[in-house]
Amino acid sequence: MLVLRDLQRQYTKFRLGYLWTLLEPLGMSLVLWFVFSVLLGARALGQQPYVLFLTLAILPWWWFTKGITASTRVFRRAGGQLRVSLLPTEVWVLRVILVTMVEFVFSLPVVVLAMVATQYWPGPLIVLYPVAILLQFLLMYGLALLVAAGSVVIPDLARIVRIVLRAMFYLSPIIYSISNIPEAVQPLAALNPLVGVFGLYRIGFWPDEHVAAGAFAVSIGLSLVILLVGVLVFRRLEPRILKEA
Amino acid sequence: MARLSVNAGLDAIVAFDDAGVRMPRRRRRKGDGRRQRLRRIAGEVKRDEVWRLRHATFSLAEGESLAVVGGKGSGREALLRLAAGTLMPDEGTVQRRVPVIPMIELAKALNRGYTVRQNIYIVGAYLAMTPDEVGEKVGWIASFAGVESILDKYLGTAPPVIRQRLAWSIAMAIDARAYAIEQVLIVGERDFRQKCWTHVDLKREDGVSFLLASDSQKQFRRFCDRAVLLDGGSVVTETSVGEAIARLREIRRSQQSGAPTDDSPEGSADGPV
Repeated sequence: MLVLRDLQRQYTKFRLGYLWTLLEPLGMSLVLWFVFSVLLGARALGQQPYVLFLTLAILPWWWFTKGITASTRVFRRAGGQLRVSLLPTEVWVLRVILVTMVEFVFSLPVVVLAMVATQYWPGPLIVLYPVAILLQFLLMYGLALLVAAGSVVIPDLARIVRIVLRAMFYLSPIIYSISNIPEAVQPLAALNPLVGVFGLYRIGFWPDEHVAAGAFAVSIGLSLVILLVGVLVFRRLEPRILKEA
Repeated sequence: MARLSVNAGLDAIVAFDDAGVRMPRRRRRKGDGRRQRLRRIAGEVKRDEVWRLRHATFSLAEGESLAVVGGKGSGREALLRLAAGTLMPDEGTVQRRVPVIPMIELAKALNRGYTVRQNIYIVGAYLAMTPDEVGEKVGWIASFAGVESILDKYLGTAPPVIRQRLAWSIAMAIDARAYAIEQVLIVGERDFRQKCWTHVDLKREDGVSFLLASDSQKQFRRFCDRAVLLDGGSVVTETSVGEAIARLREIRRSQQSGAPTDDSPEGSADGPV
């Protein structure tokens, strides 16, 4: 109910620039595809067709970055509105995640476009796609609670988050596949909860791609832990958040 | 969640029990923020908070209108926010039986980038109205605020008067049982003000409770049954309206003849009258 209300409220924002929701990730995918596939001719990277492989991870990645970056700013932007808002404080964070999620869902035609362009179709495991969305949502909500509350206390957190996100882009299997990295490092890489998430997004297309089952367990486990910590930290800091408003 | 929860078993509409809140001191423009922050990290400067309100104990009964009397910096706004639950007390407790609508700089919650209608929905949502509820009331709100002609235009450059009227109208449209009103909302043209106060009167007859913070003594005398006197945020006394205003005058006079008070938390600790 609350969620519906927020979505409805946010709808107006999208109408302005829906086209951009499509163009931005499309452009990004094309650039990366051009660099890695055409220029460097890296056949060994990821799966074929590479454009599709890229797009599948880049769209959720955009959702991830946008949501987390925006949540560092929610409370600064909310400002005086927080003083009169009779909604639970968490709603402000949830709203950011949902808005970016809707944007992500709206950008999915890009995936379809990539499928049509490459004539590559997913198998039955595509049913796991919504599960991936749900998992990412949980992970992001927990992180966003942490980051949103944290950046009220430590304003510099916003910048740190930006750098960490940049690093995460390369540390996560977006432009490459988990099987592209040395086997010795793979268990370490699997500690990144995004590995499992992106694995789930792609599993419908390349069921034989080597993503350890452990990675999924790690993703789910870490998401829940982060969510719990996020909720607790947020509760703790709520008075501070309200005071700064 | 807890801050907004309502306690249906409470005797009063709002009950403060020895409540107090510390607020961060307004940042002074000395050195840039980053240097300040570095100093704080280095332990040189502590993030300083001052008690904005302390030992507030009073209750607002059903159908009662309570004046919150106090000068600037006396913690009026903190008190109202505590009552509505948009601020959490650092000590003591604040309980309420029904949701309290915070009308504290409500006009600032309006967003220029949306149309008037969208703003009504958004602010309505902040005040915990569902879209359906708002939908039923859009017409009423628009006509009360006199903005029918610009309902689907962007709020954009609409003058503050319009924003105030809109904010006030939205809040008035809610079937709330309690309001916490800051005086800033009372600006606007004479006619509209008159209309608002008539509406408040209607609600009062209906048994709605009000917490009213205002500088205007006329309003206090006209609307309020009792008063809470704030002195430097530290003393809260419940008295009659006339008494409170007289004491406020006294305090003001003593302020003018010396001691600056705005930020000093130690108010004169006179006992209650």
